[in-house]
Amino acid sequence: MQLTSLNLNYAAIAPESIVSVAAVVIMLVDAFSKKGARKINAGITLVSLVLALIAVFGLNSAGRGSYFSGMIVVDPIRVFFSVTILIVSIAVTLLASQFLRDEALPPGEFFALILFATAGMLLLAGAGDLVTVFLGLEIASITTYVMAGYRRYDTRASESSLKYFLLGSFATAFLLYGMSLVYGATATTNLTAINQAIAEGKVQFPALLMIGAALMLVGFGFKIASAPFHLWTPDVYEGAPTIVTGFMGTAPKVAVFAAFLHTFAEGFNAGGPLGSQLHHVWVTAVAIIAALTMTIGNIVALSQKNIKRMLAYSSIAHAGYALVGFVTSEAAPVGFYLLVYSLMSVGAFAVIQLLARAGDQKVEAADYAGIGFQTPALSFSLAIFLFSLAGIPPTAGFMSKFFIFKSAWDGAPTLRWLVVVAVINSIISVYYYLYPIVVMFFRPLAPGFVKPRVSTMTAVALALALIGTLYLGILPNRVMSSIGRSGTANTALVQPASK
Amino acid sequence: MNLITITTFLPLIGAILLLLLSLRDSGDQKAANNLYRYATLAITLVTFLVSLVILARYDSSNAAAQLVQKNPWIGSLGVYYHVGIDGLSIWLVILTTFLMPIAVLASWHVTKRVREYMLFMLILETGMIGVFVSLDMFLFYLFFEITLIPMYFLIGVWGGERRIYAAIKFFVYTVVGSLLMLVAIIAIYFYNGGTTFDIVEITNNIQTGKTLIPGNVQVWLWLAFALAFCIKVPLFPFHTWLPDAHVEAPTAGSIILAGVLLKMGTYGLMRFNLPFFPSVSQKAAPWMMGLAVIGIIYGALVAMVQPDMKKLVAYSSVSHLGFVVLGIFAFTDQGMQGALYQMLAHGISTGALFLGVGIIYDRRHTRQIADFGGISTPMPQYSTLFLIVALSSLGLPLLNGFIGEFLILLGTFASPVPHAKMFAVLAALGVILSAVYLLWMIQRVFFGEITKKENAELKDMDGREVLAMVPLVVLAIVMGVKPMTFLRGSEKTVTLVKEYVIGKPAKVAENHQDK
Repeated sequence: MQLTSLNLNYAAIAPESIVSVAAVVIMLVDAFSKKGARKINAGITLVSLVLALIAVFGLNSAGRGSYFSGMIVVDPIRVFFSVTILIVSIAVTLLASQFLRDEALPPGEFFALILFATAGMLLLAGAGDLVTVFLGLEIASITTYVMAGYRRYDTRASESSLKYFLLGSFATAFLLYGMSLVYGATATTNLTAINQAIAEGKVQFPALLMIGAALMLVGFGFKIASAPFHLWTPDVYEGAPTIVTGFMGTAPKVAVFAAFLHTFAEGFNAGGPLGSQLHHVWVTAVAIIAALTMTIGNIVALSQKNIKRMLAYSSIAHAGYALVGFVTSEAAPVGFYLLVYSLMSVGAFAVIQLLARAGDQKVEAADYAGIGFQTPALSFSLAIFLFSLAGIPPTAGFMSKFFIFKSAWDGAPTLRWLVVVAVINSIISVYYYLYPIVVMFFRPLAPGFVKPRVSTMTAVALALALIGTLYLGILPNRVMSSIGRSGTANTALVQPASK
Repeated sequence: MNLITITTFLPLIGAILLLLLSLRDSGDQKAANNLYRYATLAITLVTFLVSLVILARYDSSNAAAQLVQKNPWIGSLGVYYHVGIDGLSIWLVILTTFLMPIAVLASWHVTKRVREYMLFMLILETGMIGVFVSLDMFLFYLFFEITLIPMYFLIGVWGGERRIYAAIKFFVYTVVGSLLMLVAIIAIYFYNGGTTFDIVEITNNIQTGKTLIPGNVQVWLWLAFALAFCIKVPLFPFHTWLPDAHVEAPTAGSIILAGVLLKMGTYGLMRFNLPFFPSVSQKAAPWMMGLAVIGIIYGALVAMVQPDMKKLVAYSSVSHLGFVVLGIFAFTDQGMQGALYQMLAHGISTGALFLGVGIIYDRRHTRQIADFGGISTPMPQYSTLFLIVALSSLGLPLLNGFIGEFLILLGTFASPVPHAKMFAVLAALGVILSAVYLLWMIQRVFFGEITKKENAELKDMDGREVLAMVPLVVLAIVMGVKPMTFLRGSEKTVTLVKEYVIGKPAKVAENHQDK
């Protein structure tokens, strides 16, 4: 009887299970096989990720629900964000194969780490309870710390890893402390129950709830690298191997945004006087954070000459744009934005990885001089990704920004200034996104340029990102509606009272 | 298939074909380049021919959009793929398709990355046609932005010495304007109920009072649209990107830039600002006219002192586009018809002027007026054609420039806008000044003694150059002699737009009585 009330449903955790099992298998294969099981490991990783993708689509038909006594939820947010995470993981796996060979790094652990990280992120996206949020977050974080330092002999990578670890733990502490205060106030860790408790006014110490929510906001803010909690990002991103940068700049953010939506846009989006007060406070806070994040990210990116560092700041700015969509608590624009951002960002980092050569030697803008017509396929791909990041149509970057701006303009009439700030930021960002294009195509060729070799797997990953970026820019309808159908959390409560 | 859709996407399909063609090219770079050139020329010519079919099917007695195609595109937003043609756009589409083959001919000597060059030209053509035929704000914005990227590359890769500066300046200026326009588009979308971006529908809703936008919001939205378009025009004081872009762009880039891209700004003013915000447009009219007149005189004065021929022509564009804006905000039939006519005339004449400057630049690799003198002796054909083109640009009767400027001045003088008579008088001064700078340039370049030894040996135009120049000259004369052929096409729609702003004539009379 007790067991049935737990509502066990192993299908609901199938994606996470598949990925975790595959990770263990890879570790075993790596231990028992001779050197150079790179291809086998890559194959296992890919197969398990694709299986997990299928399992996620299987969740979709299962409908909404919460399982394992509310620890795990199945809803459109989880499905859509999980798909995004898995797409990124698949792309990174495809890219990793060439990276590991070119740099002669041990292949086994890398793939296992990707899979563990993916499992953690999937769990995070499906968390219906503060405990699972924490669990998923830690699994994902710790593996990414290791990945950042995967190039052990490189001091920059080690520095990056250590910095990431220290500041990440700091952020986790904030989050955990916030969670404990929320638990103290509402006597539950289940997000639905928290929502009910707030709505019904069953909160013991309202102040405790507020402080708890604020601390959690700080924690999440750290993880998605929003200002003023973004300071760790540039160093970590610059030091880590480029492909890892591409990975940690996208997938973990997507996962954290999913948890962020579940906790704030759903959990802390309750009725009642306390609920609306809390909602008002956090929405205002998020709006301010969004404005700060965009502005700081873009302005600092303007002066960067190192492409990786520039993209690091730009990824800060992009978290800001996604937060603009967050203020309405609508999941669809945010989810679409993050999917698009992941595609173009991974694509851009993939090209940069190829051009940078082993050990990330060539990542200064000057190294890109004149290569435009030497490797037309790569540089035009990079140009398209950059145009997309800048939000120039007909790329997906434009479409996703459009959805965000539209949703914020419509859903939060008091926060329309935020849309104006976001647009002004887009204008600023055009300048620095154009810079690599200028250097690549308009400058004379720099000496010492060697055409990079592109493996089949890398080419597939690039083509995936490119097609996605253009397809979602021209025909966003199908994908957008797949999340939009029921992706809105508590629509009735979300709409701020109009004047 | 819809004719307009075919015309719009034919160049893009051509670009894809060109890309496929190049996959099989062998080692012979010269033959391959020639293949790209001829293929692009063929594509642009076919596009031109198809656009002539549109012209033949176009019914000038109907003010509404014609040959319409409307398909749902992004359902969740209410975005449609909606294209069509009316009096405002018909001639601009023809102008675009007409100038493209000429621009391709003008780029025959480009040897650097011919395939990519031609690709960008073709993508640019799709973008430009798309801007003029879009009847959905979202689609319009998309095409408006798409034109940026190929032009950016054309200037940046194939441009002159300071091309990087010019390309970035061009891009950033335009993006600033267009992103603010995007906010305005979103705002209008929501004021209209948040279901459609359809230009026709929104215009109707606003005109019939079904959609009401608060007065102060209207002002902001008007400004957002106007800024985007005034940068594109460019209206004084937003013109500073233009001379840089023109001077650094390759000849074909300048032809397209002056001939078509600038018109996207004036077209936008007529398509959006006037019908969407009639009362704000009326209030803003004296200001816009004032800026236009400043632009006319300032542009002419600056052109006068330019030592560089291309820069001279660029500043003359600032001056001539000032006339167009003046005519648009006159709110009279003559003024607005004149503005449209001037857009076409400017496209033809200035395109030809840039072509002429390019021809001489190819020979001498300089554009400084001081480096020339007396070249009419070695180059009689060239000098004759250039002279005709210059005369058409400065508004000599029986040539195209005269009709446009005359109608604009007439329309401005009769305009209900305050101070319009004064503006007309001042603008007339610009006509005189344009004669001064163009004729002075002609005199210094073509006539007199041959002062430089190099100039004595200059070859006259070759067949390709004649082929590019003559259609422009012929059209300049035809437009000057038979203006009604062209004016009739835009008449009905222009009257409609005018009525959107100041109401139907009967209504105007009532308003006067009320006062």
